[in-house]
Amino acid sequence: MAETGYIVLVVALAVAIFSAAASMVGARIGSRRLVSGARTGVLVIFGLFTLAFALILYAFVSKDFSVRIVAEHASRDLPAVYTLSALYAGKAGSIFLWGWLISLFTALLVLWKRYNQQPGLPYTLAILIVVQIFFIALVTFGNNIFERIPSPPVDGLGLNPLLQNLGMLIHPPLLYLGFAGFAVVFALVIASLITRRTGAAWAIDVRRWAVFAWCALGLGNLLGMWWSYNELGWGGYWAWDPVENAGLMPWLLGTAFLHSISVRRRRNYLHNWSLILIIFTFALTLFSPFVTHGGIESPLHGFYGSPFPPYILAAILVTLIGSLTMVSIRSKDSGGEEKPASLISREGAFLLTNIILVVLVLIIFAGTVLPRIVEAVGGTTIALERSFFDRTCGPVMLVLVFLMGICPLLGWGKAAWHSMKRNLLFTFIAAVVIAIAVLVSGAGNWYAVAALVGGLPLFTICLEWYRGTRARHSTRRESHIRAFFSLINSNRARYGGFLVHIGVIIIALGIIASSFYEMEKTETLNIGDTMNIGDYQLTYSERILKQDNVKVGAVASMSVSRNGRLKGVMNPSYDYWFLHQAHFAEVAVRTTLAEDLFVSLVWTDYDPADKSATFRVLVNPLIVWMWVGGGFFLLGGAIAFSLEEKQAAGVEA
Amino acid sequence: MRKKYLIGGIILLVVVGYLLYLSFGSSVSYYVTVSEFFTRGTELYDTNVRVAGKIADSNIGWHADDLSLKFDITEGGDIMPVIYQGAKPSGFKAGSDVMVEGKYHSDGIFRASQIILKCPSKYEEAIE
Repeated sequence: MAETGYIVLVVALAVAIFSAAASMVGARIGSRRLVSGARTGVLVIFGLFTLAFALILYAFVSKDFSVRIVAEHASRDLPAVYTLSALYAGKAGSIFLWGWLISLFTALLVLWKRYNQQPGLPYTLAILIVVQIFFIALVTFGNNIFERIPSPPVDGLGLNPLLQNLGMLIHPPLLYLGFAGFAVVFALVIASLITRRTGAAWAIDVRRWAVFAWCALGLGNLLGMWWSYNELGWGGYWAWDPVENAGLMPWLLGTAFLHSISVRRRRNYLHNWSLILIIFTFALTLFSPFVTHGGIESPLHGFYGSPFPPYILAAILVTLIGSLTMVSIRSKDSGGEEKPASLISREGAFLLTNIILVVLVLIIFAGTVLPRIVEAVGGTTIALERSFFDRTCGPVMLVLVFLMGICPLLGWGKAAWHSMKRNLLFTFIAAVVIAIAVLVSGAGNWYAVAALVGGLPLFTICLEWYRGTRARHSTRRESHIRAFFSLINSNRARYGGFLVHIGVIIIALGIIASSFYEMEKTETLNIGDTMNIGDYQLTYSERILKQDNVKVGAVASMSVSRNGRLKGVMNPSYDYWFLHQAHFAEVAVRTTLAEDLFVSLVWTDYDPADKSATFRVLVNPLIVWMWVGGGFFLLGGAIAFSLEEKQAAGVEA
Repeated sequence: MRKKYLIGGIILLVVVGYLLYLSFGSSVSYYVTVSEFFTRGTELYDTNVRVAGKIADSNIGWHADDLSLKFDITEGGDIMPVIYQGAKPSGFKAGSDVMVEGKYHSDGIFRASQIILKCPSKYEEAIE
């Protein structure tokens, strides 16, 4: 089977090389036959890729340990659900999944009526096929995903228990959906540079794919945090690890791109800037997975230096130099751009947002690669602590959240400063009053800062929303509820964006609260002992041992009271996994809207006579709001994305 | 208009530069392997460093009473005893790659403020 899979991929590679050339040449010389041949080619590549996918999955499901990737990441007792996790636990598998998603999207472009008549399509396809050639080459000649082991083991090495988690099942595919989506945006942009076709319809397509990719990537990152929080047992969710940074950077640049492209849609402004942003976003997505799996070594992800793969670096450089050259050539024959009438206007604010986002990415990038550069130049290895990122990125991010509150108040073009002043003053006073109230109530300084920074934007957004609803109610005589929904419907990009902003602000509040007000305590208890943390009393009441064929687990019962009132029983466990010969803690979390009680059983002997156990307990305020914010984010993104369906029908074509 | 951007840009750069400058100095630490640490003699004693190595097979001791974890890390033939105030992280076992952060004192013990194991997403044990 594995040999068949390899052959399938090699054939796909051959078809891809032909199709890329046919698409490019066909479009240049105007040969319909070549172009339609290339389209068929795209579908064939997708079919072959999918077949290879099925074959690799089959190898996992049938536990064929003669295939290296199966032997290294799966085991006989691995639950079937985690077959996919095992596939992308390794480098080859994740590249494979990513490449397959790109081929899926490319096939969609061919099948979707909206796209397949567009003059730029052959170029878009050609670029995407070239990207696929790169990916297929990586998983065949670079690191053959179907590689056999000469003497197959009886059982595989197994999947790390930490990865056997629902979050880890969904987190990587979401990231790769985002990455693959940005590849499509990139291809659309490059094609437009070749054909010089950048009309309104093009902008809609680009934005739509970008919204999709951006949402997937954003949710992917958030889910990674959720996993880290619930599974890794340290009670945190973000460590500014290079791997996390690598997922965050393209998302931040993508955010900048979404804002600049929306300016571009309204005004002939920021066009080239947008193109440059998406080129770098795409380049960063290429950079990203190779940080994760064996590229830039980081404290968390490997220890002794292994050089950044030179062919990846070459691919990134070729991409950057090639596309930036095209932008500069084209920018000469496009006319001059409009300048924003005033900085105090929506486009001015968007410009500012863009600059701040780019600065943020530069800081993170510098912090991520600098240790490696110092090493390459000076020979000494250094590490950058997370405090570096906290101190530099923290304030910048606060400014961004604050700006979210000002943007909705600004109109396009020159803002009516006096009317805005009133709105701004009103919300500003409201935010300050709340902040003072929070400060006086004794909740804490950072809560006050959070209320000020988060309160202002939440206010302005809700105020805008209320105004729009009221206006519709009075002019169209719609009921308030109806007016509210038809308002969203009338401008989905705007109100979807509002929802996303609300989501991000809520996430920011969760982050601020949980980073500054976390309480932590570690204690060793005997049966019957009680420990106190915050308002909670935790009594260690029982410990039972459970054994199945993969692990032996010690499950503790902790009865939890809050201010003397019994709230329930929590069951953290401490498991010894036979295959991995190591202990893994399974945390128990009790979530309320105000705070999470996080209990991790970090040590106990499996001795029936001695039941003493060590517990690490944390109280994390407002953390659930990060996941709630994620819900707003998803909803808003879906609304903003859905906008274009109508426009696709010709409203703005 | 140009002027405005220029001034704005300069202010931005200064602020960012200042933030970077402030943070950089205090956030950088040496990152060495066990043998590299010792080849530098006493140079890195009593300073915050990160040291990478493997958890040695013997001498892993958890003391539940004072919540301390004692173990040795090895690399390149050198051994460094480590004391960490805190619990064993998930997946901690002899033979694993580990990075400890903290200070090495002249009493010959590394006092770690943090131990980080190789990340599970790069759990690529190769089969020969």
